[in-house]
Amino acid sequence: MGSLLRRLLFLFRRNRFDRDLEDELRVHEEMKAQALADADGLSGDEARAAARRRMGNPLRLREQSREPWTFARVETVAQDVRHALRLIRRDPTFTFAALATLALGIGLNTAIFSVADGVLWRPLPYPNPDRLVIVLSSQQTGTGVRTFATWSPVSYDGLRPRVTALADLAAYDPIDAPLTGRGEPLQLPALDVSPNFFATLGVSPALGRAFHTGAAAPDDDRSAIVSDRLWRTVLKGDPAIVGQSITVDGLPRTIVGVLPPDFSFRPVIRQGTLPEADVFLSNRWPGDTGRNAFLFLLGRMNPGVTEERAVAELTALVNDPSIAPPGALGMEGARASNVHTVARAVGLQEYGTESVRPLLVILLGAVSVVLLIACVNVANLQMARLTARRGELSVRMALGAGRRRIVRQLLTEAVVLSLVGASLGVLLAWIAIDVTLPLVPQSVLPRVGGIMIDARVMAFCVGLSLVSTLLVGLVPALRVSRAAFGEGAALHAGATRTTGDRQGERLRTLLVGAQIAMTLVLLIGAGLLIHSFVRLTSVSPGFEASGRDGVVQTVRVTLPPHLYNEPERMHAFARGVLDRIHYLPGVTSASVINSAPFGMMFIRDEFSIEGQPKPTLDAGRPKIDADYFTTMGIPLLAGREFTARDSAGALNVAIVSERIVRDYFPGGPREALGRRVRLGDHGEWLTVVGVVADIHQRGLDTEVQPMIYVPFQQERAQPFLLRFVSFVARTATPGSVVEGIRAEIRRVAPDLPIEGTVTMDEAVAASVAAPRFRTWLLVLFATTATLIATCGLYGLMAYAVTQRRREIGVRMALGATRRDVLRLVLRRALRIVVAGLVVGLAGAAGVTRVLQRFLFGVTPTDPIAFTIVTLLLMAVGLMAAWLPARRATRIDPCAALRAE
Amino acid sequence: MKEPRTKSKHELLPGTLEMLILKTLSIESMHGYGIAQHLQLLSADVLTIEEGSLYPALQRMLVKGWVLAAWKMSANNRRARFYTLTTAGRKQLGVEESRFSQMFGAIMRVMKTT
Repeated sequence: MGSLLRRLLFLFRRNRFDRDLEDELRVHEEMKAQALADADGLSGDEARAAARRRMGNPLRLREQSREPWTFARVETVAQDVRHALRLIRRDPTFTFAALATLALGIGLNTAIFSVADGVLWRPLPYPNPDRLVIVLSSQQTGTGVRTFATWSPVSYDGLRPRVTALADLAAYDPIDAPLTGRGEPLQLPALDVSPNFFATLGVSPALGRAFHTGAAAPDDDRSAIVSDRLWRTVLKGDPAIVGQSITVDGLPRTIVGVLPPDFSFRPVIRQGTLPEADVFLSNRWPGDTGRNAFLFLLGRMNPGVTEERAVAELTALVNDPSIAPPGALGMEGARASNVHTVARAVGLQEYGTESVRPLLVILLGAVSVVLLIACVNVANLQMARLTARRGELSVRMALGAGRRRIVRQLLTEAVVLSLVGASLGVLLAWIAIDVTLPLVPQSVLPRVGGIMIDARVMAFCVGLSLVSTLLVGLVPALRVSRAAFGEGAALHAGATRTTGDRQGERLRTLLVGAQIAMTLVLLIGAGLLIHSFVRLTSVSPGFEASGRDGVVQTVRVTLPPHLYNEPERMHAFARGVLDRIHYLPGVTSASVINSAPFGMMFIRDEFSIEGQPKPTLDAGRPKIDADYFTTMGIPLLAGREFTARDSAGALNVAIVSERIVRDYFPGGPREALGRRVRLGDHGEWLTVVGVVADIHQRGLDTEVQPMIYVPFQQERAQPFLLRFVSFVARTATPGSVVEGIRAEIRRVAPDLPIEGTVTMDEAVAASVAAPRFRTWLLVLFATTATLIATCGLYGLMAYAVTQRRREIGVRMALGATRRDVLRLVLRRALRIVVAGLVVGLAGAAGVTRVLQRFLFGVTPTDPIAFTIVTLLLMAVGLMAAWLPARRATRIDPCAALRAE
Repeated sequence: MKEPRTKSKHELLPGTLEMLILKTLSIESMHGYGIAQHLQLLSADVLTIEEGSLYPALQRMLVKGWVLAAWKMSANNRRARFYTLTTAGRKQLGVEESRFSQMFGAIMRVMKTT
């Protein structure tokens, strides 16, 4: 302890210490000189000189004597950092190149990591989120495993009291609900939830209370809990809001609670995620004993219960027909009654991220490669600079700097570079996330709200900068400790060398080759995605979204069940609006469908054909009105379209798609006419009056589904299928037609909010938003990598030309032509590029398999992508070498030889 | 001019230099040059103490509080910095001596074994 105190005191008496040491050593020198003079009879000056020589390096002696007093580590670190900063300022070109590369590499990684973390890994904001599961069910059918996400209220009521593995089982149903009576009518994202929903999540409102969960149901259908966002905006942050009434979906509701600001629950459905709900409505779905399955089930497992046990128990319950009636009809179709059903429990965290997980992992891999390339580049720059700094370093070594000290100095430089680069990178990531996140299609990224740059992401970023420090600093630093910088090589270095530091150059060549290999892998990945995207978008959807007589415009509404519960009212609404749309100026033809292609809705069901064994496939079952196929531009292959005469009282008819004819009517479309088909197990028989061409209903990359079109006006058995009404119109003036349709709807149903107005072109474009986004990202990363690697190659060649100036001068003096020189430099570059490409091709062939699931109509070893990309990179590489090569041809042999 | 290279490169065992300095100072306080001369003399020129080792060692001992330094007049009337042993230094000398003799004995036993 005493020694620490003494050392601290020293800090204040440094000047006196220095004076003392100086005097002491001078006295020592004098005494030594005196002794030498006495012994060897030297003169005073000679003796002093001899004494000084024998005492060795005076600076080093003072340094070493001072060392015991100082906090050596801290001081040398501070010194190194100062030195590094000075160097960084002194060499702006290097600094800019290094920082830009590092910032790009670290920024991309930070951005992608923050996305992956927010979507995949960040724990959900509920207590014990790992116990929350979404309960699904699946059945093995002839066509594969079918998974059903939703349950009927009857099944939910059967399961909830009986399941013991779950502490709580809640149900929710995402709906759109109009809020009226508080200023402008608003269409709000809402959630119908069972009363125990918030208890299951483990969340309590910030104001008021959660729903009552007891057997008595005072809250049912009458209370609402609102989000913090809605409370702050529409409800103006009124502190006395609890107890007030709002009108949701046409019914008055009492607000019983306001959720905390950080509450977040993002309902996942098949097609992606829905926006977070603003209103939660308590519901027990009393009296809904039908087969319609629309409830998502959210369970909280009891502590200590494994997922397997919960699943086993649920499976047993699900197969008990008295608890969960079979044949529930969800979006995916009806659950077969005679097939064993398996319950499944997917963690709430994982649910809905299955498709994103591999993408994000691939993107993380891609950006790590970019970072690797960036680090290699900076390491290479450092090494080139190191050769230039040979003189400086050698002098420092001669003056007594130990090798370890030099290595530490170089690592400090790398640390400073990495940290500054990382700070810039975080800034870059922050901007990138801010700018691009709103552009990201929701179907690509669920849980976007979880994406942010926080302590976790910062920790990751710091980790990255450490890794990059090692990559950037270690290679050059290790080079120093090798032979090249011996004290002997010291001072006369620089003057006459012609070939430079051979070993260092070989290492740099290797690194540039590796960069090219890694770049090629990324580029090929991007190339595959581009080719796949071209293939995908050249698929015809089967309808004519735009043509000479205009585009197809859709306008979608959802009829609220409390106003439209009878099929007749729905028929009347659709027919009433449609009749007027025909007369709107600019409308060529118009119709109605309940599940437009490329929309959110697609309803499938089993079907059968009279006199044939039951097909194993399911068929889509859209409800359409007259002129639908004309409007959509879907070719009629046989028979006729529906007309206004195919109404409620008439013969039940159907139009089938080509796919059904191909599989079941070998005689062609005409054979199908007049035959009868049936939807579901108990539906009525429908007479086929027409056959139409196939369409892609759900996306260009999905298989063509069999379709059985039924007149909208004839659907009676399942009125809920008619609640979703899309008006479609072919028109040359979509803008004014949308306004016209809007006005017509308002005339018939004033309170009905319009949910979507898209053209079919837009719908198709939206369906490829995810692949387009992926392709863009990978292209962006690959381009960045190419840029960096090209700079690396250019730097290496430019440096080599400068180093070999003299040699080239000699060659030219001896008669080499400019062509020879050009060839000399280019051949060397080509050798590096080709070596890199060969390694890269092998690597790419190995790893592109991970892209398999994102490729459409293209194999992971697609020869077109491989060839084009390889040639492209080769061309880019040669261009990068061309500039230094041309500079080499301009070397004036006289000047080159004289200059040295 | 040629420098007579008479320096014998006998390296000290690590840690022994400090013990030798402590021993020297236990006789009387001395300046740095004097310590070096004393050791060289007593060891009959086998031990040559280089300045590069001597002065850092003295500083270390100052830090540890084993010695004190003060400017005094030397025998031949020169102002010089004299080092004096402290109580802690004297104690340390005992510790080092016993450790050294232990080590020395051990080494000798090994070397005598045939």
